[in-house]
Amino acid sequence: METLDSLYIGLQAALQPNILLYCFIGVFLGTFIGVLPGIGPLAAISLLLPITYHIEPTAAIVMLAGVYYGAEYGGSTASILLNLPGTAANAVTCLDGHPMAKQGRAGVALFMTTIASLCGGMIGVFALILFSPSIVEIGLKFGPAEYFSLMILGLISASTLASGSPAKGMAMVVFGLLLGTIGTDINSGVPRFDFGIPEMMDGISLVGLAMGLFGISEIVNSITIKRDAKITEKITMRSMMPTKQDFKDSIKPMLRGSGIGGFFGALPGTGAAIASFISYAVEKKVAKDPSRFGKGAIEGITAPESANNAAAQTAFIPTLTLGIPGSATMAIMLGALIIHGIQPGPMLMAEQPTLFWGLIVSFFIGNIFLVILNIPLIGMWVSLLNIPYRILYPAILVFIMMGVYSVHNSTFDLYMVAIIGVIGYAMTLLRFEAAPLLLGFILGPLMEENLRRALLLSRGDMSTFIDRPISMWLLIISGLILAWSFYGSFRSQLRKNTLAKEQAAAGNA
Amino acid sequence: MKNRDTRDLIGGIALIAIGVFAALHARQYELGELQRMGPGYFPTALGIILAVLGVLVAVPALFREGTSIKIEWKSLLWVMVSILVFAVLLNHLGMIFTSALAVIASSMASDIKWKARLILSGCIAAITYLIFSFGLGMVIPVWPWSY
Repeated sequence: METLDSLYIGLQAALQPNILLYCFIGVFLGTFIGVLPGIGPLAAISLLLPITYHIEPTAAIVMLAGVYYGAEYGGSTASILLNLPGTAANAVTCLDGHPMAKQGRAGVALFMTTIASLCGGMIGVFALILFSPSIVEIGLKFGPAEYFSLMILGLISASTLASGSPAKGMAMVVFGLLLGTIGTDINSGVPRFDFGIPEMMDGISLVGLAMGLFGISEIVNSITIKRDAKITEKITMRSMMPTKQDFKDSIKPMLRGSGIGGFFGALPGTGAAIASFISYAVEKKVAKDPSRFGKGAIEGITAPESANNAAAQTAFIPTLTLGIPGSATMAIMLGALIIHGIQPGPMLMAEQPTLFWGLIVSFFIGNIFLVILNIPLIGMWVSLLNIPYRILYPAILVFIMMGVYSVHNSTFDLYMVAIIGVIGYAMTLLRFEAAPLLLGFILGPLMEENLRRALLLSRGDMSTFIDRPISMWLLIISGLILAWSFYGSFRSQLRKNTLAKEQAAAGNA
Repeated sequence: MKNRDTRDLIGGIALIAIGVFAALHARQYELGELQRMGPGYFPTALGIILAVLGVLVAVPALFREGTSIKIEWKSLLWVMVSILVFAVLLNHLGMIFTSALAVIASSMASDIKWKARLILSGCIAAITYLIFSFGLGMVIPVWPWSY
């Protein structure tokens, strides 16, 4: 009953006209950037972050969240029509979505991915409502030692599971933590790594860092990429109607996908992209005839699309209930809350019930908006895909610069973005991932504070992290993930080497 | 071994350099002890860890083949020029002219025709004004004579 009361508070908050408006703007923009290949939700949310300074916190976070899950809806459009994933989490949808388009079933594919997204999104929100209160209860028992260990777990899994090389991923996290120490130390008031520049005393701005790493380097990378694929086909309402068989074949995969997505979305370090790949693999395993996959199997698009939307919703669980984001995108969301003076964590639900439950109810409303945006209005998004990038990127660049400037009204931040942009581009060239860096940057100050506090409480005794059972288990899991991923990369390297040797031997023979 | 994995080699060496630099630079801040960490403790530890990870990235790269790196110099150059133009001019020319000039600079990276480039810069300047000044009510001088 308590939950129902809370949902009622949330409903009242979410139905306010301005919240509804920002929810709509959010999911609209989310679909927009999801449809366009090359701009992900991370870049879009950081781009919108400065704008949210001008609106009230609930509306701001409702809008940013809308961008995030809206992108998962829109992302499948380009996957199906152009064989180009709109976001990383939609990459797997290309495998069966594009063959469906080639068979003249593009409309059906677009319709079914929207239904699958809705199913995943709704199940994700239910999981969020169901599990958040109990996680809050656990979170309330957390001391600094538990928080520190939880952040270790989040950072280790984010840096090792998502990227190819665990050492490179870890290095990016540590680099991010280091960048997070720039600025005035909260405990002693000593400015660190300021190099005598007064603007550096406040640290690097989150918006500047995110825009430099994601926005600028993405633009530099994409300008010369040729996208000559044009969509001539018209998507009519009639062509979107799936058959009864399509529905029947999709129900179980959608439920499985939602379950997988909901689980991996809530885990720190994994997220929508990993969830969609796993659910595709699972469908292939359980299918009676796996050979249909890759040739336009409907389960091949509905399962991963439910998974990535469920994951997009459950990703809010650790962020809102513990204040620990599981991914870089969620870290930006956390940053947005902190900018507005709201500290996410176990107290959030009790202290800010309107924000917490209003946000959750807005997810329901947003998902319904998205169905309207994605089914009757699909034609608009399809024509958007025909806008050439050479027209889009100068506009994106100007918006980035205006956004960065507006945070502190300072041109210093613009020069910072230029420098960070070059570093970000160098990182893409060298295949270092920027997402773990950003996660480290945001968690850095929190981590240092909790480490210091934990050791102050234990009088400098490091064993406090092992003596407390929750903390110990978090560290054990972190250790296992670390060992497993290093073993995995070592083994794949060995396999590559033996393969190369065999090929060389075969060449000589 | 002909083509070493230059990506990880360069990346690893850069990480070692950053880590060592951070650890050395942090020496000017008080280290403190475990029970009462000073401002230098966390950065020093991170610097050392980063350098070690740099070694872990760079050393295996010595024994591995890699592909060559292709840098988009033209795109990088014009995007940077565009940001610098914007940063330098914003406080003198107002947002309309500054955005238009920044668009012209960044669009030099693509093979768009001059006429289209000028129209594009005008349109984007107008949209920027509509979104930021009109829509969001940001206080930024619009014209050179608005200061």
